[in-house]
Amino acid sequence: MTDIPILTILVFLPAVGALAILLMGRTNSSVRSIAATTVLLNFALSIGLWIAFDGSANHAGAIDGVTYQADGLNFVERFSWISRIGAEYFLGVDGLSMPLVVLTNLLSVAAIFASWRVENRAREYFIWLLILQTSVLGVFTSLDFLLFFLFWELELIPMYMLISVWGTGRHEYSAMKFLLFTLGAGAALLIALLVLFFSNGSFDMVGLSHLGASGALESSILAGPAICGLLLFAFAIKLPIVPLHTWLPDAHTDAPTAVSIMLAGVLLKMGGYGLLRLNIGLFPDVMESWGFALSILAAISVIYGALITLKQTDLKRLVAFSSVSHMGLVTLGVASMNQLGVAGASLQMFTHGTITGLLFLLVGIVYDKAHTRHIPDLGGIAQRMPFTAAVFVIAGAASLGLPATSGFVAEITVFLGGFEAWKIATIVSAIGIVLAAGYILWTLERVLFGPPNQHFANLTDVKAIDAFPMILLTVAIIGIGIYPTIILNILNPSIASLLGS
Amino acid sequence: MSEHMIWLIPGLPLIAFLVNGLVIRPFVKSDIPRISGYIGIAAIMGSLILSILAGLDVFDAPDHRIEFVGYSLINITNFSLTLNMGILLDPLTALMLIVVSSVSLMVLIYSQGYMSGDANYTRYFAFISLFASSMLGLVIANNLLILFVFWELVGISSYLLIGFWYNRPAAAAAAKKAFIVTRIGDLGFLIAILFIFNQIGTLDIAAIHENVNTHVLSGAALTWAALGIFAGAAGKSAQFPLHVWLPDAMEGPTPVSALIHAATMVAAGVFLVARFFFMFEESADALRVVAIIGAITAVAAALLGVVMFDIKRVLAYSTISQLGYMMMALGVGAYGAAIFHLFNHAFFKALLFLGSGSVNHATGTFDMRQMGGLRRYMPWTTATFIIGTLSLSGIPPFAGFWSKDEILSDAFHVGTSIGDIVFWCGLIGAGLTAFYMMRATLLTFFGDYKGGAKDEHGSHEHPHESPWVMVFPMILLAIPSTLSWLVNTPWSHDLSHFLGAHSIKFNPTVAALSIGVASLGFIAAYGGYRASWYSPERISKSIGPIYTFISRKYYMDELYESIFVKNVLYRGIVTGLAYLDTRFVDRIINNIGWFGRNIGEAFKLAQTGHTQAAAAVLSLGLLTIYLAFFAYRDFIMGGNS
Repeated sequence: MTDIPILTILVFLPAVGALAILLMGRTNSSVRSIAATTVLLNFALSIGLWIAFDGSANHAGAIDGVTYQADGLNFVERFSWISRIGAEYFLGVDGLSMPLVVLTNLLSVAAIFASWRVENRAREYFIWLLILQTSVLGVFTSLDFLLFFLFWELELIPMYMLISVWGTGRHEYSAMKFLLFTLGAGAALLIALLVLFFSNGSFDMVGLSHLGASGALESSILAGPAICGLLLFAFAIKLPIVPLHTWLPDAHTDAPTAVSIMLAGVLLKMGGYGLLRLNIGLFPDVMESWGFALSILAAISVIYGALITLKQTDLKRLVAFSSVSHMGLVTLGVASMNQLGVAGASLQMFTHGTITGLLFLLVGIVYDKAHTRHIPDLGGIAQRMPFTAAVFVIAGAASLGLPATSGFVAEITVFLGGFEAWKIATIVSAIGIVLAAGYILWTLERVLFGPPNQHFANLTDVKAIDAFPMILLTVAIIGIGIYPTIILNILNPSIASLLGS
Repeated sequence: MSEHMIWLIPGLPLIAFLVNGLVIRPFVKSDIPRISGYIGIAAIMGSLILSILAGLDVFDAPDHRIEFVGYSLINITNFSLTLNMGILLDPLTALMLIVVSSVSLMVLIYSQGYMSGDANYTRYFAFISLFASSMLGLVIANNLLILFVFWELVGISSYLLIGFWYNRPAAAAAAKKAFIVTRIGDLGFLIAILFIFNQIGTLDIAAIHENVNTHVLSGAALTWAALGIFAGAAGKSAQFPLHVWLPDAMEGPTPVSALIHAATMVAAGVFLVARFFFMFEESADALRVVAIIGAITAVAAALLGVVMFDIKRVLAYSTISQLGYMMMALGVGAYGAAIFHLFNHAFFKALLFLGSGSVNHATGTFDMRQMGGLRRYMPWTTATFIIGTLSLSGIPPFAGFWSKDEILSDAFHVGTSIGDIVFWCGLIGAGLTAFYMMRATLLTFFGDYKGGAKDEHGSHEHPHESPWVMVFPMILLAIPSTLSWLVNTPWSHDLSHFLGAHSIKFNPTVAALSIGVASLGFIAAYGGYRASWYSPERISKSIGPIYTFISRKYYMDELYESIFVKNVLYRGIVTGLAYLDTRFVDRIINNIGWFGRNIGEAFKLAQTGHTQAAAAVLSLGLLTIYLAFFAYRDFIMGGNS
């Protein structure tokens, strides 16, 4: 098992698929088949890894001449890459990254199937989508900071292309805005990376985190809090945390459906993942002392996002703003700095990915059929599209945190953890569940219900090819909602060691 | 009975939901739609039988209590959260199981007639099975968080059923309103859950009980926790000021109104307070709040029942009022009386709602001004409805009398000012109840027939009795509406003993007062709506503003919807923030030149063609980054060397 570079295969399989499309994808349908085969294979592979994942595995390494034991690290591949500066090709997954790897592959399946009717420059489109998948998987599996950074920056190019070429509305503005914000995050990340490198001579994220846990890291560099702040700034843009969220609604609204799914579903999680892996991992004490401020930012994000969601009349923009609110709960979980809260943040990332992915998928279907996303023009489509409507109601219920969906499990875990640490911020955030019920149910009412609309008299329900990703995501949402242990068991050891207990 | 058998009580309707929803509806063609009804009925019949068996087990068990630790749902020790999905069976649970499953069974049988011909017959039976399953799960849960899970599932079932005819805007709006208003209460419930977990580190009901008994959870903390739980209960049980959703919920199919908005779901709030009564008992403040809210609700809702012309709305306000009785009984510590009233009320209120549905089936309307004289066409409906009326109005020997009397006697004997308030409010409410029920009965079944609905759905000139599948459940429900009090007669108090609650001696004075007040209500209604001693219209005109105030439901809908939601929240806060977001936050962030260059300029670049622009900005960005790096490196190197 250790001989097979399984994570390398996982990360680069989509890139190989992209190459295959470049070489063999002569017709749009062959392009689609190659893309679909690739993502399905990779999804199956990640499920296999999930099953094979061993929470008790550990990995030994050394940093600054100090050896360390990293608990729960699986499928490690590690060898020297740029020996002059000590950069390594270092891949591995633990409880923090494993769920996100599966999530990325799950949503990639949804994204490819949601793109089934893309005819405009389909070859390029699917190539970029697959490269995007490779870069995100790279981010979640890299444990060398330089490698992590390269994948982080690589993700920009496919995203920029996908939004600016295949987007709608002000897509070039939105693509550029996304690019600049993410570059800003990248700049902060790079500075942090270099400072860490020059003070410790290592890019080893696991090793750095080991130093961080013992407090050695903070004393070894000049300005620990400043570096922690740079990282926080970078990840706060990506997550996003209000007021750094303004790129998000534009990018989502103007992106094609599949890109919105990837953007909301997995790209935002790069921010949350960074907060856990780097901010908490490297600077636990700084994060502990910033907990109160973070909890306030979290509560503001939750409420501010939810209130603005209520105002939206573009269906896609509405889902986008709801993400701001929901990602605020990730921040709250991080701010709690206890196991429940951080587990809740991780769960919320996974669960928000599936739920919002499904919502964007549905919005795409509605737009495809009704040719409008303007909510006041919609209404009464439930009768014409009962299957879509049923899935929409389930996705909405999950989004407002209904029990038996993963949304509830994540929210309650964040709240339980958050309340232990920051009572007021948690109570304020909990008001978000009432606001969420408001905007979700109001949306369902205006889009699906009401008398049959004569403009939509000829609408037909989705075909099997569209239904497939809808069912896949619904199963994930309800599955985690009923049996969260499946994901908590993987998270638990890694979060325990992250928080040093 | 084994643990698995008990899980089948909510499990069977859940299976019915899944089979109907995932198999029958998508794959079985509509020429045999009845099958979904049979599946639902068979499942709930199974639940009823198992509930009775479970009830007998509880009766035989030591301390009348059976607990199964259950399946571990989340059990990770160093998460300090252990969540077990277990079962707690006690007399309260046993009673609720039997009430819920038996009323559900009657309603499902009736629905076969009422919903026949509806294009979404299967969806209906799927949803109502989901509801029954959630409600049954709620009452057996042994853990506060699991209880909350089922609590919310009850909420969503209700949403789906109120909005069942989603093509009607009023139904879609009512469904949304019900969910959101109850969720405001649930926010309090959720915070109470967080608070309790924070205080004692467990959500297991028995453990919470233990912590309250040993005063680990006490004082102000206990009061806040209890009030949070009561907020949830007030939402679900439509207590003032969160009652506004329930009358609108009448947009759902009438059997739904009978089942969930009269007999079972709204009782969940009362059940919740009863389940955590050990907390309320330790907090005089919390009890006082429960009593006052209950008393206000009992009278205010009864007064609204007096002015409604929609028969279902009369019954809806009556439900709110009766739930107020149960709450105020709990508030004065009359645990046994409250549960006794819940038990009786479930049967006679379900009966009354089914009666209103039967009337609607015949006349096509719920407006009593278009009815009248139906006793000549619908003898069974009339007879059973009158039994329900007598029971609800508190006329002996019908069931409602005995439990209402017990509540009043309890309040009378408490001897506190709260007890007196509750007693007098209860008495006034009793008079109003008798008045509006007699009014509804007279308008609907007596006098001359006014012709029913005048719309495109054909003529209702010749109303007729409903089919036997609808009449039969009404007859069956008429039996407990008359006799259910035999479980707790004033001379044996079997139910109170079983529940472990105190019981109160029958007080002839209180009984005479309550019968007297009810009779006065009857006579007043008879005088106005049958004998023409006075004209109700003239009275309502002469008290103009007061009448308007009441008939507009105290303007509470306007206060909430027009003033708060539309103006303060939406036009004010939300619109203001959205403006701030686009005109201020977005611009400021856009204009921060962190690349040493205005981003606005870069956006102009974007117009020139994506690839070149991307390349330009990427290189510009990278250049800036490297410059920053070198500047910073010198700083570090200097610092390190």
